[in-house]
Amino acid sequence: MKVLVPVKRVADYNIKVRPKSDGSGVELANVKMSMNPFDEIAVEEAVRLKEAGVATEVVAVSCGSAVCQETLRTALAMGADRAILVETDVELQSLAVAKLVKVVAEKEGAQLVICGKQAIDDDANQTAQMLAALLDWGQATYASKVVVADGSIEVTREVDGGLETVRLALPAVVSADLRLNEPRYATLPNIMKAKKKPLDTLKASELGVDVSPRVQTLSVYTPPERKGGIKVGSVAELVQKLKDEARVL
Amino acid sequence: MDFNLSSEQKMLVETVRRFVENEMLPLEDEIEETGRLAPEKARALFEKSSANGMYAMNIPEEFGGGGLSAVDTMLVEEQFGHAKDILIRRAFGNVYEVLLKCDAAQRERWLLPAVRGERTCSIAITEPNAGSDAASIKTRAVTDGKGGWKITGGKHFISDGEFSDFFVVSAVTDPNAGAKGISLFLVDKGTPGFIIGRDQKMMGLTGTSHVELAFDEVPVGPENLLGGEGQGFKLILETLGRVRLAQVCARAVGKSVRLLNLMISYAQERKQFGKPIGDFQLIQQMIADSVVEINASRLLVLDAASDIDNGVDARDKISMAKFYVAEVLGRVADRAVQVYGGMGYCADLPIERMYRDARIYRIFDGTSEIHRTVVARSAMKHGEALYGTI
Repeated sequence: MKVLVPVKRVADYNIKVRPKSDGSGVELANVKMSMNPFDEIAVEEAVRLKEAGVATEVVAVSCGSAVCQETLRTALAMGADRAILVETDVELQSLAVAKLVKVVAEKEGAQLVICGKQAIDDDANQTAQMLAALLDWGQATYASKVVVADGSIEVTREVDGGLETVRLALPAVVSADLRLNEPRYATLPNIMKAKKKPLDTLKASELGVDVSPRVQTLSVYTPPERKGGIKVGSVAELVQKLKDEARVL
Repeated sequence: MDFNLSSEQKMLVETVRRFVENEMLPLEDEIEETGRLAPEKARALFEKSSANGMYAMNIPEEFGGGGLSAVDTMLVEEQFGHAKDILIRRAFGNVYEVLLKCDAAQRERWLLPAVRGERTCSIAITEPNAGSDAASIKTRAVTDGKGGWKITGGKHFISDGEFSDFFVVSAVTDPNAGAKGISLFLVDKGTPGFIIGRDQKMMGLTGTSHVELAFDEVPVGPENLLGGEGQGFKLILETLGRVRLAQVCARAVGKSVRLLNLMISYAQERKQFGKPIGDFQLIQQMIADSVVEINASRLLVLDAASDIDNGVDARDKISMAKFYVAEVLGRVADRAVQVYGGMGYCADLPIERMYRDARIYRIFDGTSEIHRTVVARSAMKHGEALYGTI
């Protein structure tokens, strides 16, 4: 079984991000970039499936500019066998990524795609769902446990009310939640080997997919700073302030 | 000339940093409070780093190490430097390059177990009357007439001596030959007449023991002699330079980086007179000076390491790095205390202990004065070759 893991290059989780001065987006110049933490969990799960003899090959894929190769090398150092960069300088939105990964999944004959449940930059949480829909495969999002057996996959999902276990026929799309596993450190030998592992590049423009943006960002700004509260002496004063000052009544 | 790190180097640095922050820094408070790293925690740390191929990364692959170049070693050593000395020793190993001088039989007994982390090693050169002047040691190895020696004398300040299983000991085998009469011996703990003395308490470096050693006619055979009779001082000069660059210079850069990170975050967070203290120019000066000095420090370290990788004698550059980087650490630590004010002086935060730890960097592995002397003498001998581009 071949497992495909899409990985995204995002601003590192330790970074305090701030909007660009013109409000057109988040400032990413001179900002440390890393693999999306949920994608790391997805890579870890795929590598564990390979180590358990369930998966035959783990292929990491990233969509974006050439710098995404760094993210792919990280996936290779964690234990992925191969990597594919779908190269484009166009800013990709979730739907575009889902369409591109669909092409790669079909080309590769992947039986399972494990995504991170969301990327920590835009927190959109929709690529895995869109991908499953486009492929017309089953989907199990927010996975906290994955067991593959006899052409099907049993996934424990973290849902609002507790845990839900579902069984899907393969091929399928799974999205990884925080508690699925604890990603390993890349080992020194694997870091050194990562460079020798194959990393192929596909041009997004040659995959016959419309990646043009569907959503337009109007402006990005920091939320207003929270002002200090006040103490009121009576219910009457509270009501009066809610009416006259806060204007919520 | 490309000063960018390769993708492997970046990954290496980031992985080690993550390991240091997740697995090591959380252990520091307890070490500071109890004065020691609990043995079971030391063991767990070793096992985790070892499983990730992070132990003895500086040793060539053919002996089971990580096979890093000198430059890559410095990059990871800088990251090690964020943590306390004792944690670095247990997590990444102090496997000294001088052990590479082991012959085939010695390798099995000392080098390979050290690389695997089964045995640990201390270097025992310093004596009460032989610090920077390592050639003036008094410890004697007298021939026993059967091809072996009996070692008599004393050492002090031997780092990690309580924990170590064996020691690389310098001793005079020919008192008439000066520096050429010094030899190195591999001496196992437990050899008759070899006594590990008391732990000498230090200002900082909490958790790392620094012991006195006493040798009373300690018998050693030819199998204990490292690198040939009379070769000791030469070996020390040849191999300890790289150790100095890694364990002192690169780690000092890492400590400065950690201190500056703390300084910057505090300067942005701490408000006085209605604004963050980072808005005040006197604080900004401390930040700016630290930034530039840290970058200069790293370049000195990597430049010297690059010479080592290219087989060029790097001793002068290591001396330049040694005193400059150590003094930068001292200044950055001092500024960090100043920016934190009372909180920098308070032992609740790591600044206070890092300030104490920083002081030794200008002293051990050759004082600033010794290394300045080396650089000045070399400059007067070689001129522009030492500081120009022609």
